[in-house]
Amino acid sequence: MTESYIWAVIVLMAAANFAVRFVPIAVVSRMRLPEPFVRWLSYVPASVMGSLVAAEVLRPGGEYLLSLRNPYLLAAIPTALIYHRTRSVLGATVAGMLIFAGIQALLG
Amino acid sequence: MRGINLGMPIFLGYVPVGAAFGIIATSIGFTAAQAVVCSATALAGAGQFIALNLMKEGAAVLAVVAATTVVNLRYVLFGATLSPHLKGMPLGSQAVLAFTLTDETFAVNVADRRSGASSGASMAGVGAIAWTGWVAGTAAGALAASLIGDPTRWGVEFAMPAMFTALLIALAEDRRQAIAAALAGALAVGLPALAAIGIVIPSSWLIVIASMAAATIAAAVFK
Repeated sequence: MTESYIWAVIVLMAAANFAVRFVPIAVVSRMRLPEPFVRWLSYVPASVMGSLVAAEVLRPGGEYLLSLRNPYLLAAIPTALIYHRTRSVLGATVAGMLIFAGIQALLG
Repeated sequence: MRGINLGMPIFLGYVPVGAAFGIIATSIGFTAAQAVVCSATALAGAGQFIALNLMKEGAAVLAVVAATTVVNLRYVLFGATLSPHLKGMPLGSQAVLAFTLTDETFAVNVADRRSGASSGASMAGVGAIAWTGWVAGTAAGALAASLIGDPTRWGVEFAMPAMFTALLIALAEDRRQAIAAALAGALAVGLPALAAIGIVIPSSWLIVIASMAAATIAAAVFK
């Protein structure tokens, strides 16, 4: 990974992030978004998280791992339950990491 | 001052997650300074973690930026929701609020709006304290990374999947949202299998393609 590659990502990511936050505030306060676009936008966050979790858990590192000894799958299930009960993203994240480390130790 | 009090829980939450970002970023080749600059300029939580994932696999710059932008498209909705409250505010102040807009600052500011006591200054305070927590956490993680040795011992490689799992449950409570999320998950895992019949989708675009397709189908089906 070259230094210029990392800097390019940092600079462009900052610009893109600012744009998606600022343009709606600056422009939308002066107009209305079309209803179908708002509806589409409302499904984007859940879709992004669904695709991310499925890909990270069932294809960690880009390889299929469809097995009951998959530590990502075994740790994701209690992580989801912990979030469902506690409603704490931070608590579920930390608990999930510890569970994952424990499962890896057990599976060797 | 009011904003800083309101933002304190966000600060406490951002420090450890920012530290996880600092640790993972330096473990894949960022310098501590690059990790801190990235957090300070992007302030993008999940978007930053996804960038690390793709960069680790050597994805093109454009693919990394596209993926983080898609993840952050939700801010378009947040901005649109807040914008009626920000009418008449100078463009510079709007820019400052936009820069510090995150899931957590949005939630706190919208709740505070309902109480009627919110102002531009309190919103700027919430943003400033959230930014400070995220950047300080990143710096601590990046600098401590060399001290804690092998981060895999602490389950650090599961930090991202764990956070995404929690956010998924938070977002997919309603049946329609859950169906959209399940569809996106099926596409993200199923599309790479098309390689068997000669259709190869570059892995760095997989999340973008799967989530945009699922959101489009959901928006078309659920009127």
